[in-house]
Amino acid sequence: MTHVSAIATYLPCWGSAGGRVAGGDEDAVTLAVEAGRAAIDASFGGVAGGGSAGGDDSADAGGGGGGGGVQRVVLVSRELPLLEGGNAAVLLAGLGLDPEIEVSERLGGAPAALDALSSARARTLVIAADVQPFAGAAAALVAGSGLTVTPVARLARSLPVRTRSAAGQVHDYGDPRLLRERGVLASVSALAAEGAEKPLALAGVDARQAAAVCAGQPAALPTTGASSALFALAALAESHSAGPLFAAEQATVSGVLVGDGVVVVRRAEPAARPLPASTFTPGKEIPVSLAAYDRAFSAKVRFEAGRQAGTGELDFPPRYRVGPDGALHTDYTLVPLPRTGTVYTGVTVRIPVPGLPTPYSLVIVELDGVDVRVLARVTGASPGTVSIGDRGRMVLRLVAVRSGVPDYGYAFCPQEAAA
Amino acid sequence: MREVAIVGAGMTPFAEHFSLGIKDLLPMAFAECAASVDKGLEVGDIQAAWFGELSTTDGFPSGILADTCGLLDVPITHVENACATGNDAVRNAVMGIASGFYDVVLVMGADKVRESASKDTFWEWAGMTRDMAWDYPLGLVAPANFALHVARYLHESPATREHMAMVAVKNHHHAVSNPKAQLRFDITVEQVLNAPMVVEPFGLYDCTPQSDGAAALLLAAADVADKYTNRPVRIRGVGLGLDRVMHQHKRDMTTFPATVRAAKAAFGMAGLTPADVDVAEVHDCFTGVEMISYEDLGFCSRFEAYKLVEAGATSVGGSIPVNPSGGLKAKGHPPGATGVAQCVELFEQLRGSASNQVDGARIALAHNVGGPTAVSAVTLLEGPDA
Repeated sequence: MTHVSAIATYLPCWGSAGGRVAGGDEDAVTLAVEAGRAAIDASFGGVAGGGSAGGDDSADAGGGGGGGGVQRVVLVSRELPLLEGGNAAVLLAGLGLDPEIEVSERLGGAPAALDALSSARARTLVIAADVQPFAGAAAALVAGSGLTVTPVARLARSLPVRTRSAAGQVHDYGDPRLLRERGVLASVSALAAEGAEKPLALAGVDARQAAAVCAGQPAALPTTGASSALFALAALAESHSAGPLFAAEQATVSGVLVGDGVVVVRRAEPAARPLPASTFTPGKEIPVSLAAYDRAFSAKVRFEAGRQAGTGELDFPPRYRVGPDGALHTDYTLVPLPRTGTVYTGVTVRIPVPGLPTPYSLVIVELDGVDVRVLARVTGASPGTVSIGDRGRMVLRLVAVRSGVPDYGYAFCPQEAAA
Repeated sequence: MREVAIVGAGMTPFAEHFSLGIKDLLPMAFAECAASVDKGLEVGDIQAAWFGELSTTDGFPSGILADTCGLLDVPITHVENACATGNDAVRNAVMGIASGFYDVVLVMGADKVRESASKDTFWEWAGMTRDMAWDYPLGLVAPANFALHVARYLHESPATREHMAMVAVKNHHHAVSNPKAQLRFDITVEQVLNAPMVVEPFGLYDCTPQSDGAAALLLAAADVADKYTNRPVRIRGVGLGLDRVMHQHKRDMTTFPATVRAAKAAFGMAGLTPADVDVAEVHDCFTGVEMISYEDLGFCSRFEAYKLVEAGATSVGGSIPVNPSGGLKAKGHPPGATGVAQCVELFEQLRGSASNQVDGARIALAHNVGGPTAVSAVTLLEGPDA
């Protein structure tokens, strides 16, 4: 049995009532960071990196009590951006967690997410993220007390109606009726024969199938992948419903019993808007210097400035300085920057730029409470709709894919979109 | 410090020279410069050369100049200072003569922007001006680089897109009579405002074209200039200014501090003031940049550039004509050549032989600002006595 102290959900603002789509600057890692940060914040009342640059607290954001004492992170998805090259460092940096924390990247759907949660030790942050066909992410923080989740049923069966190879090639057998009858329904029946109760919610399938299997009317879920299991848990927690929660992926099903306990649920689910039209112009691969990537990584992905020893002045990006006497000053510490600010100036690029989806808006943001500005792309708003003086927050996004390397950094999300 | 004069000037037309390489454009501009020397030039008189080029099509720039123009026996220095390259090459050559090292030197500038596929141009050129980890992947294309300034400028000043359009109309009109200009046609304010948007607030006609070209100047110590001409153009002042390279570090984006610094240095050296200037070639890669530069160069007060535009003061015939050649906007902009070509135009203006002549011009100013809006060069010239 595990205890869940906080659950947070995130949905991209793009899409329709039928389902959300990820923006071009979002992937499983950025979606996971949005949900994961919110879960830490909900549980401990303050995400590491939440704006201490103006104060005296210059400790490493992820260390010790930072990050709410999270000691392990499990990311469940079928759409990990990189199979090789690593998502873990970006995930931890985006979450504001210490790079010493253990990260498990689990390839799986809704049952895998439920299994990850029900088997997790305390102080584990379980995040599930989906990009296709519907985008969304949810995170649950396992703690010493909270909502109880107990594994009660598990059945792995093979009915590979849809397959995706290591190279990403997808085959669809093309028989949804077979999948329904011999997949989900057969597995649920098998579990029922062994004494499992009818579930209150079934994640990993569409609403009609869930309704056919569940006792009562289950809550609608925004995804059908890994994250749907945690979205379902959030819905049960909000309605104070104790009972079985099942999660399915093709013919494999896992079940947990959701019990009592206090849990904080936080949802970042802005109203859906149509994804703005965008053009991608192919061109040469955008070059990358991995030496420069490496030097910039911590400041760029953790959103930290260098605070000069002595003067306390902030440099973003961090840098060496030379004094009026010619002396070199290399002594700075990285401190988290505030993540809210106001647009100082901004433009919208309308011409095609090879390798980037166009149009896009670029803004210079004055961060709150510090003498630091940031040049960033706009996210979560249609290009051309952000004006000087608009307020918003800085969020981790995929800036570009450069010669195969996902290049993450911070984008400006205007307040209206974030609401 | 010895006085320095321009005694010869020439340039290729600015255009998409698909059929001419850098090794063709350099000797073309050089020969036209040599032919402009009133009393003739022996190539062997040239003691040193400075060559401004941003990109390096076909390889090693200094060697290409030496090789293509028969200058194998003199030292040649390659200058690269973003879009201020041309006027900075002039400044370096001036120091070569003013110091007493040389009597006669050559300044050349060239670039071939259209040598690479247009779809590749942005990323290739951005690599020269952007922080690789931070700015490069954001897609800060050249127009956006300047538009970030102009958007803020339009926010704080009374200037509007209509004023910017008037600058484009003016510079296009100026270029019509210039045989070296790339865009020799008139446009209207309505055309500018209705043109496809490139990077807001710049439409297509707010932007310089992409150009190839080369330009050359022959400089001589004032005390030997009469060997070449009785009508030298004196170089009264040169200045170079820099600024923070990342846009997020520029405190006030309604101005280009690099220009202010360069102008201060050039005017200080010349002992002149902005009010003394009769004609100017100003860096108008984008229309709004010309307006901000009026203020940075001291042609008007802060946020009053729109008044000069409305009054037609910067048109030929006005009180301070700017870009009689058509400017970067209509003459074209092969970056390494641009500043040198501005001085070619002003050499002709000050000697009364320009295609779009400003009557009675005696003091002239050339100005570049560029890179990540972090470098500017200003040159002040004085014409021969009437």
